Amino acid sequence: MEQEVLRLPAEQLYQKEIDALIAAEKDAVPEGWRMSPRSVKTYICGGKVGGVEITPKYIGHERLVEIAIATLVTDRALLLIGEPGTAKSWLSEHLTAAINGDSTRVIQGTAGTTEEQIRYSWNYAMLIANGPSQEAMLKSPIFYAMEKGSIARVEEISRCASEVQDALISILSEKRISVPELGMEVPAKKGFSIIATANTRDKGVNEMSAALKRRFNIVVLPSPADLKAEMEIVRTRVEQLSGGLDLHAQLPGQEVVEKVCTIFRELRSGETLDRSQKVKTPAGVLSTAEAISLLCNSMALAGSFGNGSITEEDLAAGLQGAVVKDEGKDGLVWKEYLENVMKKRGSSWSGLYKACKELNE
Amino acid sequence: MKQPYIYGIRHLSPAGAWHLRRFLDEKKPKLVLVEGPSDLNDQMENLTRRETKPPIAILAYTKETPIRTLLYPFAEYSPEYQAFLWCKEHKVSCRFMDLPSEVFLSFPEDVEGGNDEGEEGRRNVYAFLSQKAGEDGQETFWERTMEQASDTDSYHEGANVFGRELRNLTEGQDRDWPETLVREAYMRRQIADAIAEGFAPEEIVAVTGAYHVEGLSDGTLQPMTDEELAHLPKVEANHTLMPYSYYRLSARSGYGAGNKAPAYYELLWEGFRQGEMMHAPYSYLSKIAGYQRAQGNPVSSAEVIEAVRLAGALAALRGGTIPALRDLRDAAVTCLGRGSFSDISLAVADTEIGTTIGALPEGVSRTSIQEDFYRQLKRLKLEKYRTLTAQDLTLDLRENRRVSSQEAAFLDLHRSFFLHQLRVLQISFVKQQQVKQDNATWSEQWVVCWTPEAEMQLVESALKGDTVEQAASFQMKEQVERAADIGQIALVIEDAFTCGMASTVKYAVSALQAMAVDAVSIEGLGQTVHRLSTVISYGNIRQLDAAPLEPILKQMFYRACLLLPGACVCDDAASKEIVTAVEQLNAASLAHDFLDGQAWISALKETARRDDLNTKLSGFAMAILLERGLADSAELKLEVQRRLSKGIPADLGAGWFEGLAMKNRYALIARLSLWEDLDSYLEELDEEEFKRALVFLRRAFADFTSGEKDEIAENLGEIWGLNGQQVSEAVNQTLSGEEQKMVESLEDFDFDL
Repeated sequence: MEQEVLRLPAEQLYQKEIDALIAAEKDAVPEGWRMSPRSVKTYICGGKVGGVEITPKYIGHERLVEIAIATLVTDRALLLIGEPGTAKSWLSEHLTAAINGDSTRVIQGTAGTTEEQIRYSWNYAMLIANGPSQEAMLKSPIFYAMEKGSIARVEEISRCASEVQDALISILSEKRISVPELGMEVPAKKGFSIIATANTRDKGVNEMSAALKRRFNIVVLPSPADLKAEMEIVRTRVEQLSGGLDLHAQLPGQEVVEKVCTIFRELRSGETLDRSQKVKTPAGVLSTAEAISLLCNSMALAGSFGNGSITEEDLAAGLQGAVVKDEGKDGLVWKEYLENVMKKRGSSWSGLYKACKELNE
Repeated sequence: MKQPYIYGIRHLSPAGAWHLRRFLDEKKPKLVLVEGPSDLNDQMENLTRRETKPPIAILAYTKETPIRTLLYPFAEYSPEYQAFLWCKEHKVSCRFMDLPSEVFLSFPEDVEGGNDEGEEGRRNVYAFLSQKAGEDGQETFWERTMEQASDTDSYHEGANVFGRELRNLTEGQDRDWPETLVREAYMRRQIADAIAEGFAPEEIVAVTGAYHVEGLSDGTLQPMTDEELAHLPKVEANHTLMPYSYYRLSARSGYGAGNKAPAYYELLWEGFRQGEMMHAPYSYLSKIAGYQRAQGNPVSSAEVIEAVRLAGALAALRGGTIPALRDLRDAAVTCLGRGSFSDISLAVADTEIGTTIGALPEGVSRTSIQEDFYRQLKRLKLEKYRTLTAQDLTLDLRENRRVSSQEAAFLDLHRSFFLHQLRVLQISFVKQQQVKQDNATWSEQWVVCWTPEAEMQLVESALKGDTVEQAASFQMKEQVERAADIGQIALVIEDAFTCGMASTVKYAVSALQAMAVDAVSIEGLGQTVHRLSTVISYGNIRQLDAAPLEPILKQMFYRACLLLPGACVCDDAASKEIVTAVEQLNAASLAHDFLDGQAWISALKETARRDDLNTKLSGFAMAILLERGLADSAELKLEVQRRLSKGIPADLGAGWFEGLAMKNRYALIARLSLWEDLDSYLEELDEEEFKRALVFLRRAFADFTSGEKDEIAENLGEIWGLNGQQVSEAVNQTLSGEEQKMVESLEDFDFDL
């Protein structure tokens, strides 16, 4: 069965690591948790436990991970905010995987999310046939999490309409859901909490109310702090991904990763890494996540149509697609970058420059 | 034999201060030795007076320039400061035991930055330690491991281990290692001396940085010998106490010289005194919330409670029970700042650093200039401005007739003198604001803000004189001696005047006289005349007799009259400055009857008449003559015809007109005959000449307002027999394509033709 699933949930993918951490547990474990806060941090930030190497899942900004975990220890809800592609969902998935061994209690926030999806809804056939009953009730992931004393996730909370967000307020402050149809109240068990994520680029789509914000501890996830950290993230993730995807290509070399990260960072920040030159920024975000998918994409190209190792042409095609989202404006930005920055970088960059230039002629 | 107790501390450590007091209570020593320059013992008494409010600092400084300084700051929670207090309370003698400041100040300066702090040199050791400590450096490491130690023995032992390990790590590699060895030998000598004096070893407690514990307690090391002592280099130095500020403590962070969050450390100290370890965390978060509320950002108590809980959880992740500053700040950002530091950055600065400044009792061994400074502050009722917050001060220099005493009537004037003296000395306590209203010479705007830097600048000025006034006078005399042209001296005269210092004015005037003889630049003369003239005109508001200035002004003015026509042989670029000078000289001649007006007028007339000068300046001279009513219409007509006649190159003619049009435009516009002459001149020109003239005339009219241009157009219209309506229409019409092209073709005009 494993072979057929495109992407396994984190707790299955890293089963071994989680088991090792639980086996080696020395500190106090909070109620409803499977391991101590310190072990959760080791799981996220990497380390070594009982002979098992724990791969780092979130690199850089360890302190933010600590704050996130500490928030959940105090049974507060956690809100992760950041630019697209700053590993918000990734972090939230791994936190729940480590704390509950279950990262699948997710509500995907969309413009079409309804209040029922936050609370509960009904199997209408049964409702009409037998009237309201426990059996006819369809519980939301949050409902389940409250019953079990675990953590539920709400993705892209700022995409939900405000009435849906409001439904969360009472759940977070009362820590219970009432079901008037059945005349009952379901209190949350110890260990219940919510991790929500929101996108800073979505600001103003459905601005979160002050009342809701107040119920969350907010952690802002920044872009990777420096080139080294970003390269590390990209390298690790590409390694992990390519294992699952059967790409039949060699992993990108250090200098390929460095080139991609350099280009992304420079276009993102609007200046060259040595701060000597200003460059224009394209409309897209150029997140670390995009750099990762770009490299996987290049590996797929190389594996399917090439000799299995990434060539400058594969990379150029990927870069073109990632940078130029809007043909007119971004095209100019990219061409300018090629001419003003990349061309002058010397021989190690000249192959990539030529390949990129060809695509733009 | 018993050994003296060596108590290792970290400077500016509240836990160190607390446990040191416990330790002293327990050991009941007869003598306490403290790491600090041993020639500063006489300050001990003042340090501990009841009126003394830390933070304060001992400042030692060299007597000769370049001034080098050595700074020992103490906060209330400094272990050293608590040791002084303990000794005073228990009537036990207390001494400094480190090398004298004279020796410290003679050590070669560090390459980077100055060696102006006693422990600055330790920096590299601590940089190394920060690297090893992980998390965010040695400050947090120290806070988590040492500041939260709850019993005296474990602190004592911990500090010793810390110092020993640090020493092992860096022994011999540290850039300051030789200095360290010398210092420790000296300190050992001080201890040995004390024992020789009759103190039993166990009656002595030596308080020193944890780093030095090993060096002082190792019995195999010998104290410094007499011979070695005699070989130590020395420079002459003075020392003084000065008030310090938390801001400065935090700005000069690094080991010994400061710490990043003095106000927070004070909270820790309060916590120790109250026996409540959670005092600092609670106060810290409540203070941030309070600050936010005062600024109009609602923060609920529930959020503060959440922040306390989060900080506790963060500390627990590190295995502690009491949150450290880092946990508290992160919790505040997450819960009170909604994830972004910038939202609460001001509150954090206020809570961690604060605006506390120290105070010293009056008359405490300051330098005499400091004494004078504070005496003046009191006399001029400026004491309330001695705060870290910048305040505005508006002065009205006129006599206040509603008060009885002479002193009170001119209070603001005397304040102005004093503030100007400080300005001349470049003491950052005061800053003068530009007043918008030009001639409101009786009003001055100042911004006043006290900082420890200001205090240090003051101390450094001690070399210049014993009072603020003397120092300012010395400074100005130096400026006069260094002055390269008369303009700079004039500036000093102006300064001396605003400072109310008649004798300096006199000195500068005689220097000016000596230099003015050789002055040949009309621009410099114009500027100087202008400055002096202003001083004389408005001098009486400052109750100063301007009479000594009159002869020199006369002399320079006359000189300028003689130089003017000759100076007008110049190109257009230079003419701009001469126009300014002519204007200044003219203003002076109008303002003062004692100046030789006749000479000025004949200089102007000559300039206006001569054909071999820069025509723009000739035109400008003519304009002044017209303005002063010294030339009539007939003369103007004649001159216009002469200047604007066919055959004279167009640029010269137009240049003259430009000069003429720089003044009294309304009068010019109103003179129809002028425009008739201009019109007939233009009529005479052929195509090529016209184009040329057009380019220059366009420039002449460039800074006329559109209203003025309209009126000129109407004048011309009248000459050409059009009525106002038609002219206005013609002028306001948008240019046709062809006309546009014609105008644009002028842009390519070749000036070299």
